[in-house]
This record gives sequence, C-alpha cells and structure tokens, in this order.
Amino acid sequence: MTDAAIRFDHVDFRPGAGFAIEGLSLTVPQGAIYGFLGPNGAGKTTTIRLLLGLERPAAGRIHVLGHPTPREAPQALARIGYVPERPHLHPFLTVSQSIDFHASWHARFDRQWAATLLEQFGLAPDRRLSHLSKGEMGKLLMLQALSQRPDLLVLDEPTDGLDPVVRRDVLAAVVTYVADYGATVFISSHLVHELERLCDWVGVMDTGRLVSELPMAEFKDGAKRLTLRGSVERLGPPPFTVLSAVGHGPTGAVWVIDGWRGEHASWLDAGGVTLEAVDDLDLEEGFVERLRARRNGREAC
Amino acid sequence: MAPTNGTGGGSDRGPEAVRLVLRWLDDIDPRSAVPIYDQIATRLKAAVGGGVLGPGDPLPSVRQLAAELRINPATVIQSYRLLESEGFAEMRQGAGTFIKRAPTEDRERDRLARARRLMRRLLADAAREGLTTRDLERVWNDLFKERTT
Repeated sequence: MTDAAIRFDHVDFRPGAGFAIEGLSLTVPQGAIYGFLGPNGAGKTTTIRLLLGLERPAAGRIHVLGHPTPREAPQALARIGYVPERPHLHPFLTVSQSIDFHASWHARFDRQWAATLLEQFGLAPDRRLSHLSKGEMGKLLMLQALSQRPDLLVLDEPTDGLDPVVRRDVLAAVVTYVADYGATVFISSHLVHELERLCDWVGVMDTGRLVSELPMAEFKDGAKRLTLRGSVERLGPPPFTVLSAVGHGPTGAVWVIDGWRGEHASWLDAGGVTLEAVDDLDLEEGFVERLRARRNGREAC
Repeated sequence: MAPTNGTGGGSDRGPEAVRLVLRWLDDIDPRSAVPIYDQIATRLKAAVGGGVLGPGDPLPSVRQLAAELRINPATVIQSYRLLESEGFAEMRQGAGTFIKRAPTEDRERDRLARARRLMRRLLADAAREGLTTRDLERVWNDLFKERTT
C-alpha cells in the first residue's frame, strides 16, 4: 500500500514517566540505507521496538513493509532481520546449534550463505555462545540476520564496542547483501563516521522527536560554516537559518548556517559584509550543530 | 559466493587491474565535501589518464568495491554511470564494467580541462594570499628546473 519500507505517522508512545515519543513521523524509502542518529536516550531503541511491533503506540500509525504494525507484525517480522543492541541468544547453545535454531524460524534462511559467512567471519561452529567474545557475538548476530534473506535489516548499534577489524568485516557483509538483494537497511548508531560513508538517508532524533530527516547529500550540503568580515550586527534578518554564531562585533563573525545557496553571497555583499570563506560541514558537525540549535531554540521558548 | 561480475572479460590482467583499482581507491574521504561517487570517478579517470588502467581492464564489481570501501552500492553504481556517460567506461550487462577505449583527443581535452581547473584554483588561492603571477612564475620555473635536471 505504500512505497516506504517503514512509515511512522504522528506516533505517540510513553514507556514510562519522564520520557515520551511525541508526534513521531518518519519515512524510510524502499532500498535506502537509512542512518538513524541521536544521542543516548534520544529514543532510538524505543523507535526500533515500536517498528518491530514489540510496543504498541498510544496514538498514530506504523507501517512496516506495507504491514500495519503491531497488528500484522508477524508478517512483517518474517521479512525483517534484526540485530539488537544487546545479544538475546541462548548462551548454552553452540554456534552451529544457534544457527540451526534461528533457521528453524525463518522459511527463507539461506544455509549456504550462513556457511560461507561462518567461514568468512572465522567463527568456530562448536564453540558455546557463553564463550564467545563480544566481536564474535556481533558477527554471529549479523550472520543470522543476513542469512534470513530479509527485505529489511534493522541494526541497533551493530558495531558498538567491536574492534575496527570486526566492524569492517560486519559492515562489508551488510554492503554485500545490499548489493546482491537490494534490501532496505535501518541502522541506528552513534558512530557517525561509519554512517557517513554508508547511508543515503539520515534521520536525527533527540528527546523523543525527529529533528531532521533528509537524503545524505542534502543533509551535508545545506549546512555551511561562513567566515564573515565586517559589521555583522548591522545585517538584517538573513535568508537562511543561523544555527550558531561566534563573534558579533564590528570586525566579523563565524556562522554555522542551514539552507545556504550561492546567491546568498550577494545579500551579504549588499549588507557590507565580506564573505571570506564558505566551508562544508561533515556529517558529525552537521549533526551536532542541528542538535545544538534545536536545544537552544527550545530553551529560548 | 563468487563475484557475479567484474572479473574476467576483455583484458589479460583482469584480477591485477581489479587489485590495482582497489588500492588506488583505498583512501577516499567520506568526510570530504566532494561526494564519494565523484571522488571515485575522478580517481579512476586519473588512473586512465595516467595509463595505470587501459582499455579492456575490468573495474571491480559493484558489490566488491562497495564491500571493500564499506560504502553504499548505489554510490558505486553512480560513479560507474558517471564514468560511462563521460566515455571512460562501459557497463556490459551481466559481465561488469570495463575501461573503454577512448579517442585520444577526448582524453587530451579532459586532461587540459582538469589542468585548467587546477590552475584557476591555484590562481584564486594565490590572489587571496596576495601573491602575484610573477611570484608564481618564478617558483614554477625553479620547480621545473629541479625536475628536469
């Protein structure tokens, strides 16, 4: 019924006192690799629990792979590979028993690919899960999720706490899967640089609300750092959003802004201010500046 | 799983060319303002222009390059499409992407265009630093002498 792999419409959810998801609307296009950013406690994991149908929203609608959730969550879950933030596997099973157990729940489970990944990841089939290192556990979770051949991969901090070599292997496996099957990936992480190279969509959450949702190129493109010389305080209201400003005096300032366009240079010119430099922000800077602007704006209200 | 495309094809040194490309691209910068697809295409064009890659050489498959660099497969496709539209490569259905035999004058025109862009940037930077063309000319001549002797 919809083109989106995941769609939240004005979802409210209050898991307990002191924290609430309010009016959350979010769209993950089919085939996107969607980076879900936000500080700890922003509501990323809660959002993931809602989309998996593990929680019921107080208001609003959720559709996952076209299925209204949680009503049709089982149908959606059959097509979702999920890597949770904390491992949820039975510690007394061996690696190969765990894979067998997981496979028995998933009709499309690809045993051949599971075997390939097992070798590629260097996991010992007879080892008990209670004896696995954090990195080995991370690889096993990814192996199981990918071998399901899911249409949607939901990854909650999949590389958190893993060493760089393991992170590399795990992400390479995800990329290979996407290249082969064109699946949608929803990846929550605070490792911004990792998302920067991988994702084509970015959603930023803070305190239960979606701060922004944009294609990666636009997210990175709109925010700029302007180095200005001249009497900045005499300028009128700018044709773009100033996220932060350092220095207001007659000699100049450094502004971080959103919504920059080339023709804005003449607006500065007309105001007698020299534009010394326009610098791009990387994903992390853009992310931090947008959060800071939002928090400042809220405190001002 | 065997790669579905990109290896084998028109050149004898297929696997070697693929390894070369991977090494050539391993320092792309995701934090740069230049989009990743553009960085890849620019580097591969330089490799062709410099004779590192020749006609018929295969490029890595989309999945191989994406996994190696841990980037979105769509980004790799975007850069291969760009190379194709500029006549540097051709995507053969089911076989992979290969460096194309480009007319020499095209390559020359592209090289000159890139040189022009580079010089313009240099001149703009120099003007901002308060350097004159004469300053640049002197340094250029010194450097040129150093390289030829």
